[in-house]
Amino acid sequence: MAGSIANFLLSVSLLLSISLIFLLTIKINKKNFENLSVIYLCSDGIFYLLFISFILLVYSFIVSDFSNLVVYQNSHTTKPLFYKISGSWANHEGSMVLFILILSFYLFIFTKKKIDPELKCFTIIFQLILIFIFLVFLIFTSNPFTKILPTPVQGLGLNPILQDPLLAIHPPFLYFGYVGFSIVFSFVLAALMTKKLNSFWSREAHFFILLAWSFLTIGIGLGSFWAYYELGWGGYWFWDPVENASLMPWLAATALLHSNIVTQKKNLLYSWTALLSIFTFILSLLGTFLVRSGVLNSVHAFANDPFRGLYILITIFLIIFGSLTIFLLKNPSYQRKNNSFFFQKDNFILINNCFLIFFLSVVLVGTVYPIILNAINGESISIGPIYYNSIIKPFLFVFIFIMAYGPFLEWNKNSNNSFIKNLLILFIISLVFSLIFLFLLNNKNISLTLGILFSFYLFLTVIYDAFREKKLSINLSRILAHLGFATVIFAIFINGYFAKEINLSMKVGDKKQLENFLIEFKNTKSIKGPNYDQITANFLVTDGNKKVELTPSIRKYNQPAQFTSETSIKSNFINDYYFAINLSQFNDNKISLRFYYKPLMQCLWLGVILISCGGIFGLFKKKYENTI
Amino acid sequence: MKIQYKIVILFVILVLLFLAFGRALLKDKTYQPTEMVGKKVPNIILNDFNNKNKKISLVNLTNNNFVVINIWSSWCIPCKEENYFLLKIKKNSKINILGINYKDQHTNALKFLKDFGNPFNLIASDTLGEASIQLGAYGVPETFVVKNGIIVAKFLGPINEEITGTILNLSK
Repeated sequence: MAGSIANFLLSVSLLLSISLIFLLTIKINKKNFENLSVIYLCSDGIFYLLFISFILLVYSFIVSDFSNLVVYQNSHTTKPLFYKISGSWANHEGSMVLFILILSFYLFIFTKKKIDPELKCFTIIFQLILIFIFLVFLIFTSNPFTKILPTPVQGLGLNPILQDPLLAIHPPFLYFGYVGFSIVFSFVLAALMTKKLNSFWSREAHFFILLAWSFLTIGIGLGSFWAYYELGWGGYWFWDPVENASLMPWLAATALLHSNIVTQKKNLLYSWTALLSIFTFILSLLGTFLVRSGVLNSVHAFANDPFRGLYILITIFLIIFGSLTIFLLKNPSYQRKNNSFFFQKDNFILINNCFLIFFLSVVLVGTVYPIILNAINGESISIGPIYYNSIIKPFLFVFIFIMAYGPFLEWNKNSNNSFIKNLLILFIISLVFSLIFLFLLNNKNISLTLGILFSFYLFLTVIYDAFREKKLSINLSRILAHLGFATVIFAIFINGYFAKEINLSMKVGDKKQLENFLIEFKNTKSIKGPNYDQITANFLVTDGNKKVELTPSIRKYNQPAQFTSETSIKSNFINDYYFAINLSQFNDNKISLRFYYKPLMQCLWLGVILISCGGIFGLFKKKYENTI
Repeated sequence: MKIQYKIVILFVILVLLFLAFGRALLKDKTYQPTEMVGKKVPNIILNDFNNKNKKISLVNLTNNNFVVINIWSSWCIPCKEENYFLLKIKKNSKINILGINYKDQHTNALKFLKDFGNPFNLIASDTLGEASIQLGAYGVPETFVVKNGIIVAKFLGPINEEITGTILNLSK
């Protein structure tokens, strides 16, 4: 029943979107912008319709309506309620509904903005086209309300690895990020069409860019956190294509966020900002394609049917071609202003924009090249962390240095150099600090030294920046985000060089002294969970005079019958102690497991939270004119 | 340049990319390491396990030689079982055994050799697992027997008494 209603609602929203597109096109041609409120009402209607369909899907999952194919394939009556709900978007069809719902959600917020009617109408058209394209994809290739007859008694269950509270919220955040750039995309195309790409546009767009960027940051952070403690590989970032797929739009969006500030402040870089707006969304789509189509093997590849992938591929290429053609045809030729001074804020932002695009290209090549190479001559290569680390690392130091220096410069004049002396002092302090630090840790690695030096330098300059002026609240957004970035980089370097991994094979009662750790296997315990059986191993790790109890476990899920290894992580803010049992390697009462010692992981998460907070604070600023 | 040309160029680039991605998409993803028995040893250059600056060329090593190549790792439990048999081969014959240390941490691998004994005449590191793929390996452990540069036999999984006998016979 719910399925039929929802199917009907989806069809209505499809019709509504196509008729609105026509109606708006006619209105624009006639330059008649009266009675727009009806149109806004209809576009809100699409959002409500999709919202109800989404709720109906969630409802089908809650009541375990197995006459629905998607519910049957991804749910089970014994699953806890929470995972029944999150299960509704932890599959291809459900996540597409969420995707479209968010597309319409952004349209919904956008129609509430007070802007020029022509610009607004164009934006609505472009956004509606996107909604239309994905609705067609949803209804005709991945319908979430397909019926099966006869109705099965029981469902197949949700992949246990996806049964995790974090994973319930990771996709919505990521989607709010990815899809958020759709409205920026539509808005920029509208501005190009109407030749209204000006500082007003830039101010209005800033809100959406920041909103989507914040969501994307949180989404990536959550995904990384999930990988860290659920997958049990002892790492938080693997340069896996799936992770790269979310990093690429983030890099583009970060560049966009900054170039848009220059556009706002100085009426410069219009074409660049427009191009970045287009590319950020395209990269989001490309990410969705790479992750979803099954072109890569991953947890995320839901659309195993290659024709779905082909549809997304065709769509993406049409969107890329269409948007770039509009850009080429309508790209305004602005008079270049003479920049008489080099040491200005905008120049520094532009330099770092170039660095971000460089990082983006490195990641793009690393992600896409193996796929294309394999398609062309069947050769498989694996591009590992070494590639990314060795290419990105040296430039990262320069990037951070410029990032630390830039905020002190002025927008419109050569800055008075009063702060340079202070910055130099801070640099010397950081140099001394990093040398002492490394001396204490007894490590002579140059890149580690530079990593600590520059991240600490950035940290100090941001703090100095915060106390330099009294109007902290105005720059709070930037200060938090940059502080977070410094923290993340610091944590990444320390973690990269001091993390330890030890493979063990032990039986109950064993004691082993490995490196600095005394590891004792105390006992095992069996526990029965709601939809799994669990064996927990109890370990005591002694590191110096610290004692940590760790309880890694193995779970056998009932439906689908599958084993998962649950990690056990204990943290004392500075260090993480991490245990994961190797699956399928039991041998005469011995279990084999991996022990990881990961320093500063909490610091890394804290940094990500700070960066996100920076974005969120920025949203609440009223007067954009006075910022940055 | 005229805008029309730019659009055409854009279109051509996109079509080419589309074809490449489309082909990647429709390709069968089931992974098949090439069946290597009877073929020449691929030209793979590996890093020496004990000396990072030293390279090991499989072709040079196996040319006019009888070599057993064993892919192992400290995290692989069956490798511990088969280590005993590899030691036995080493003790009872003059066969050269090359160990390829697959996706492993150096310290763990060293500990493995210390605990269980080192049957290898030479060890190469394959930290990323690439070389093993080129060799046509499915996973660890896996053993290849190479005679005068040609792979004559391949054993999946740990070797046992019987395989040990087969290898000793092949060497004669």
